[in-house]
Amino acid sequence: MKMTKLFAACAAAFLMLGTGYAYAATSSSEVVADQQQVRITGTVVDAQGAPVPGASVIIKGTSTGTMTDAKGVFSLSVRPGATLEVSCIGYATITVAAKDNVKIVLEDDAELLAETVVVGYGAQKKVNLTGAVTSVNVDKALEGRPIPDVARGLQGMAPGLNVRVGSTEVGSDAILRIRGQRGSIEGSSAPLILLDNVEIPSLNLVNPDDVESVSILKDAASASIYGAKAAFGVILITTKKGAKEADRVNITYSGNMAFQSMAKKYEMADVEALHYWVESAERVGSYNPVGAFWLIDRAGYNAAVAWKEKYGNGKLDPDSPMTYGRDWYVDGSGRKIGIRTYDPYYYNVRKSAPAMTHNISVAGNKGRTDYNISLGYLDQKGMMKNTDYDFYRRYNANVRINTQINNWLAVHAGMMMTHSTKSWALSTTSTTADQWYYLFRWAANYPLVAKDENGNDLRTMAYETSIAHQAKTKTLYQSVNVGTTITPLKNWNINIDYTYANNNTQTFKPGFTIYGANTWSAAKPLLKDGSTYTVANEWNEYNGLGSQITAYGLPVELYQPSSYNLINQDSGTSQRQTWNITSSYDLKVGENQFNFLLGSNIVGYDYTYVFAQKKDLMDINNPQFALATGTETVSGNNTWSSTAGFFGRVNYNYKERYLLEANLRYDGSSKFPTALKWRWFPSFSAGWRVTEEPWMLGVKDVLSSMKLRASWGMIGDQTVASSLYIPLMGSQTTYWMHSNVKDSAYATPGLVASDITWQDIITTDFGLDFSLFNQVNVSFDWYNRDTKNMIVPMEGMGYNVGATAPKGNYGNLRTRGWELEISYGKTFSNGLSLSATATLADAKTVITKYGNNAQSIDGWYNGKVDGEIWGYRVDRLFQNDDFAYDADGNLIKLADKYGAYYQYAAGKDYATQGKIASGSLISGPGDVKFVDVNGDGLISDGERLIGVYDKDNTDNEELWGKSRHGDLEVIGNTTPRYEYGFRVDMDYKGFDFSVFFQGVGKREMLGSSWTSIPGYSSGDGGMAATFANDFWYETKDASGKVIAFNYDAFYPKAANCGRSLIFNMVPSDRYLLNMAYLRVKNITLGYTIPQKITRKINMQKARVYVSLENFFTFDHLRGLPIDPEEITGYSSFNDSNYNSSFAGIAAPAYKSASFGVQVTF
Amino acid sequence: MKKFINILFAAALTLALTGCQNFLTRDNLTSLDDVTYWRSEQNVRLFVNGAYGNYFSGYSDNWGQVNAPGVYSAGEYSDDYTSSGVQRNILLSVPADNWYRAESTAYRGVWLARRAGSAWNFAYVRKWNLLMDRLETMKENNFLTDEEYKHWMGVARFLRGWEYSRLVLSFGDVPYFDKEVASDDIETQFKPRDPRSEVMNKCLEDFQYAIANVRENDGQNYINKYVVGTIASRCMLYEGTWYVYHKNDEAMKTSSNIEANAKKFLEAARDFSAVVVNSGKFAFDTDFRTLFGTLYKTPTSKEIILYREYNKSVNASAQHCIASYSGGNGGYESQITSGNLSTLKAWICNDGQPYSSTTVEGADSWRMQDMVKTRDPRFEASFVDEPVLSGPTGLYSEKFIDRIGVQYAYNGQTCPPCYASDTNENGYPCVRYAESVLNWIEAKAELAEHFGGAAVTQEDLDKSINAIRQRPLDETAIAKGVQKTAPLMLSAIPDDPARTGDPIKATLGYKTAGAVSPLLWEIRRERRMEFFLEQYRPQDIRRWGQLELMLIANNPDLGVGGWVELDLAATLTSEQAADLPGNRQAQTTNLKKTKANVGYNLLTKGNFDIVAVYPLEGTNADGTLKLGDAQFWSDKVGDVSVMRGFLRPQKIQDRDARNVDVRNYLEPICTDVMNQYAEKGFEIKQNPGW
Repeated sequence: MKMTKLFAACAAAFLMLGTGYAYAATSSSEVVADQQQVRITGTVVDAQGAPVPGASVIIKGTSTGTMTDAKGVFSLSVRPGATLEVSCIGYATITVAAKDNVKIVLEDDAELLAETVVVGYGAQKKVNLTGAVTSVNVDKALEGRPIPDVARGLQGMAPGLNVRVGSTEVGSDAILRIRGQRGSIEGSSAPLILLDNVEIPSLNLVNPDDVESVSILKDAASASIYGAKAAFGVILITTKKGAKEADRVNITYSGNMAFQSMAKKYEMADVEALHYWVESAERVGSYNPVGAFWLIDRAGYNAAVAWKEKYGNGKLDPDSPMTYGRDWYVDGSGRKIGIRTYDPYYYNVRKSAPAMTHNISVAGNKGRTDYNISLGYLDQKGMMKNTDYDFYRRYNANVRINTQINNWLAVHAGMMMTHSTKSWALSTTSTTADQWYYLFRWAANYPLVAKDENGNDLRTMAYETSIAHQAKTKTLYQSVNVGTTITPLKNWNINIDYTYANNNTQTFKPGFTIYGANTWSAAKPLLKDGSTYTVANEWNEYNGLGSQITAYGLPVELYQPSSYNLINQDSGTSQRQTWNITSSYDLKVGENQFNFLLGSNIVGYDYTYVFAQKKDLMDINNPQFALATGTETVSGNNTWSSTAGFFGRVNYNYKERYLLEANLRYDGSSKFPTALKWRWFPSFSAGWRVTEEPWMLGVKDVLSSMKLRASWGMIGDQTVASSLYIPLMGSQTTYWMHSNVKDSAYATPGLVASDITWQDIITTDFGLDFSLFNQVNVSFDWYNRDTKNMIVPMEGMGYNVGATAPKGNYGNLRTRGWELEISYGKTFSNGLSLSATATLADAKTVITKYGNNAQSIDGWYNGKVDGEIWGYRVDRLFQNDDFAYDADGNLIKLADKYGAYYQYAAGKDYATQGKIASGSLISGPGDVKFVDVNGDGLISDGERLIGVYDKDNTDNEELWGKSRHGDLEVIGNTTPRYEYGFRVDMDYKGFDFSVFFQGVGKREMLGSSWTSIPGYSSGDGGMAATFANDFWYETKDASGKVIAFNYDAFYPKAANCGRSLIFNMVPSDRYLLNMAYLRVKNITLGYTIPQKITRKINMQKARVYVSLENFFTFDHLRGLPIDPEEITGYSSFNDSNYNSSFAGIAAPAYKSASFGVQVTF
Repeated sequence: MKKFINILFAAALTLALTGCQNFLTRDNLTSLDDVTYWRSEQNVRLFVNGAYGNYFSGYSDNWGQVNAPGVYSAGEYSDDYTSSGVQRNILLSVPADNWYRAESTAYRGVWLARRAGSAWNFAYVRKWNLLMDRLETMKENNFLTDEEYKHWMGVARFLRGWEYSRLVLSFGDVPYFDKEVASDDIETQFKPRDPRSEVMNKCLEDFQYAIANVRENDGQNYINKYVVGTIASRCMLYEGTWYVYHKNDEAMKTSSNIEANAKKFLEAARDFSAVVVNSGKFAFDTDFRTLFGTLYKTPTSKEIILYREYNKSVNASAQHCIASYSGGNGGYESQITSGNLSTLKAWICNDGQPYSSTTVEGADSWRMQDMVKTRDPRFEASFVDEPVLSGPTGLYSEKFIDRIGVQYAYNGQTCPPCYASDTNENGYPCVRYAESVLNWIEAKAELAEHFGGAAVTQEDLDKSINAIRQRPLDETAIAKGVQKTAPLMLSAIPDDPARTGDPIKATLGYKTAGAVSPLLWEIRRERRMEFFLEQYRPQDIRRWGQLELMLIANNPDLGVGGWVELDLAATLTSEQAADLPGNRQAQTTNLKKTKANVGYNLLTKGNFDIVAVYPLEGTNADGTLKLGDAQFWSDKVGDVSVMRGFLRPQKIQDRDARNVDVRNYLEPICTDVMNQYAEKGFEIKQNPGW
């Protein structure tokens, strides 16, 4: 709180010149001074007695006044008996009688304080904002929460800022988007993240404890000042500066200790999954065992049920070694039948993973100099059991210093360092099948326990993890900033800032080997003194192999694939140099206030990357480059780009009533051909504070304030590859060799559009802000953002050219949305203060121009809504009486040109589903009955083209007017919609309590994995418990009498999809994953020890709290082990195809319970 | 103070205005582009290198299947390939999409394109046209000597000629472009199809330039004069024989001078291959398995003209999966298709006679263990010498693996990666002398029979077929008693009753059985034995107009597998056997066992009902086989002695009769392309019958 206020004061004095009735007025008043005036001096202090610099002191009823200096002192000539009006942002305005040596005490004004907003190259009173800017309440979002990074703190706090925590890995970056998920097809849609006006690559680099303010600039009018990279909004972060109180040193410590556990109940199916697989095999007439490496058949399943009864539910210690004859057996064909079932979470996921943070900061002020030094430490363990290497660790150091050399020159400098280590156990070098993949992949009878009965280590996920070496990615971000503020005239400021930032990332991957019983191998007979022996077969009743069977075991062997026996390291370094030069000037003519800003922003960027690898380690346990003898591989890369922008801004304010702002920016980018590098981008915004009109005075008791806003602006987007206009000769991956040497090869140059240039992002925004009874504040925005000249492939080029069409500025895209924020705050007379904030936002993106040839529903086309999912509608599951039977009671199989189908019962003229059939899978009782949307009597996906048949696309008149996409419809959308947040804060006698909910109202996902599709693949066997517990089945005894059934099931009859979305599991509305959720993101209960106690030990403030993060989740996933926030295929290891994009196949999401303290000396 | 401000302004202005353009010029320095690339002969070589995988695919790469031998994919289509279940269909309707438009070699799943043809993909046409254009510029700028220019121009024209030959093979008439087409040149992009004879005459010109100018030696396994000679003869032989056997097809109506063109192309085929045959550089000095199973490097063999090496320690992507599907991988990995009775019958005995007239002792036994000793040595080299039920017909090919790797199928040791998974590293003779001589002798024979060319002489046979038959045997083969096949004597050409004797084929109008001479019959047989499971047989069936053979209804031998003796081979456990009707206790086999015991484990409860054999009921008057009706195990458990015979592939069903429609000799043009023409107001004609 204090920091915010001090900064605001500083800003008022040195930056924020919109209210500049200060210096010029003083000098003019001296010219007209008459003998009656006397000169007085005074001091303005805050409630704690600290001087308030930059407070405005005005003689009431005139425009004459001055400002306090750094020590809070002012002097002014006044007529006797005059009254002074003293105001400063963050304090309540008061009036006092003018007298010499007066000491004026300003009281805090929390409400006013919140209304100061940092905007592009300056700050602005919130009431005077004309653009769409949201200021985040940093205290609430970031302080005292067990969150590792700023992005997670911002989630749900600002309408229009979408934060997606798509990866459950510790140390992973969240995905940030402002106003919709997509800005263009070719470019990045990410917002610009600025830390003290300098772009940073990731919010993970910022210590949440160092953050002073966060502003989200959403529309073109507010973001355009940042030009070329700000096309999709700006997240503007400022860091904490030194103390403002004279000769003061504040030392603050905050610490938090958290324990993480799985965010919701995750359940994979147990013996029920084996039931499912046996059923699925038998429905297609196969009585062979199913599975991979560990198989199950009907006899095995019956034994597994018996095993469960005898040993399950804790009767057998889950760590009891896997024992032949009890837990598995080899059938007559030499196949391993596993009958013991294992809970993957027990063996592989931590029950409680600790995390802690410590932050110390020293903020001081001595004479003309203030400074801030802070140190931060974060140590967060991941969820993987059996290893110490799954963690994320970060050190932050931050120094800011500012000194006022004389009354027109100030200099400042800052340094920041972030060092982070993301560590994991390198048991596989694959990011498309890492260890978490194996948490979900196998059937429940696949062994997960550590050892077998002979004491051999079993090669399992747990074992591999436990012996894997440590892989790590180290990131070192360092930045140095020097700058100066020059005040040549009292209302003219010039800021010059230079920042050098270096970001180095190193990844180290040492190989390893495994020695153990190979659970993937065929079993072999065990020998005792050279001959086989027998052990008891506990399940003879089921498998009929005899009560004594030959003992089998798994081959114990060394596993060392060549991709493991190596060491590799890569290193990427990016350097960014940023010049920001701005000059601002204030002018006041009567009631007309102007602020002029001119500036330039120049950024150079350079990235180099080196990779080295050496194979054949001499000592597998000491992976070193010096101790490897095999093939050496080296590669490297270098990329660079630059932007330059020159900009001007004019703010106009008439009577605090009519507000206008205009920006113009001239931008150049290295990414386009010379003649097309430079472009002009204008923007305008206006505001009308209706309640400032004299005729509105009467309603002010109710409608405390109201403002209408409108803005329009255009920003250029250049976040595309540098080489779009260059016909590159890419070096080619070659599979060929010549004379035992790998070929080098170069590909044919592609087609390019030589006139490629900026994509134009044009935003129109209308906003309404109002406040009722000074307690309820409402802010609403509606916007339209067009991406014009979007880079898409050229339309209509013939296939005969033999190349893909060149990309150029041929397309358009449009995003429309709205944002609403409502807040309420009141302090009751008994001391209880209560506040609540709710946010809600929505956005929808549509392709408005892509060329008329694009017709496929599987690609882009005109009118496509970004993220849309096509699929069938489901009516219900078929039941027995839907079908006809022959004399023997069998289904009657028929076939037409589309495929096989069973005859429906008389009178049931349902659409035929022959086209849905897949091999031996034919829709029968228990299978999904799809809706014949187009009424043609056939369930079909047509040609998968958009629209309907007409004379332009077919000569067959019978088809005219019919759907070209058969029965498919848009059944959902992957884009998060209706994102909301809601928080309540209460304060009472030192106790504070807050609850924060966050959620997404609508989002769908088409899953493709063992956790999202029932019967995904019998060859792997993994299955979520939800499916195995609720699928359609019917069990008959030998006489054909039904003895067990589940006709009301949600999921259809067992069927193996073979890892494809086929048959019952073609995309459909019924089995689409509903990813909407509500999460209680945070609950905090804190207690601040009364100052009268803390003062005694020279402590200014001491607070202790407990905080629950991510603790309750409400979703529509029917108990599937999928986190509702997850994004398929996205992780810090691989952001597009992590774990082969299997939905939900990732580390389990975690929640945390924590305890923390905050003390200030 | 004022001065300071002035300086500041001046500095700011300078910073802003000077150097800004330089600051924003960030040229691409880490990759070459079309402007900077064309500077040296080496760069031209690197440009061509990228296409080797597309033209000389060998065993393809990783799990890839393009033009790889057909032991593991379901996409195979020839009379040597039989699978269980429904036989593979070729395209039955016009597909919607255009598959691959880029420079990629991904599998298309359509038989014509897969077996050496092309999709409707003009990326390589563009690549070679672009190269020719850049070579001209390089020559003008003195980046190339005259010799270098001619060699690389020759390579570019050779590959363009080959590319168009592949397109013609798939589609017949295609639009011909002799230079790169601009993205906005709509007229050219949508030009109509040119008649195949015109396109192939252009290809002939390209090949003629190439054979005259491409270097005799450009380094090991690089394209040279003899590669050009062999491939050009392949393309020309295809085209020439096409005109002989398809001259009455509807699709040929667009071409003129068919007779003259046929003669011209066959002469070209003869002359291109003669360059190789008469060079004296090549000979058959290497045993068959060494050609296909050598690890890591090119074997020293005078038979190899161009070889694809695999060695993943040198190039991590240089690996494939053939060996693991040839008996490596520690067991007999299932081959989706394998040989059939038609294959077995086609193989001659080592006295040079077909099975029906041979006098070799024991040649009447159809047990694999016996057949390897009585048949041409390539039989032993191509098959496991016992029935292996991992092949749907009981036959299992181990042609594409060395003698060592296949032992891991039954010796119980862990199989090294070079034989397992998709990490196999044996190389493939992409262009070999056997093809040169067989193209040459066939072109000569066709010219003699149809165009009055010089008659084939004994000397010609000795240089070609008989030279191949003298190929050395390896020790394993010798140890098994395998013997070289007697030479083919002009004076004593066998008269195979299969050539004329099958009334079913005759009534179907099967063009070749009764039509070709005994000499051509034997030349064709030699190709079939030599190239078993390689890419040639599907092409040969096409050009000879023998698609009718692809229905089991017409050619019942396709539906019959190899010889099995199930009464011996069953390895049911006592418990499993107890569940079988008649409580038949299975016996252990006298054969080798695979490690995982899967090879013979046929009689599980699940497939008990579908296992059957066709018993041998003696011979017909002309010496050909007579088979009885299928005997199912489930009916015979009481008397398993009858369960000896030719295996019936499980659940076998004939392919769709539409497969043998005459339209299938050419692929349809996909609707994507048809629609694109129509949308732009142009027309393209679909192939007849589609």
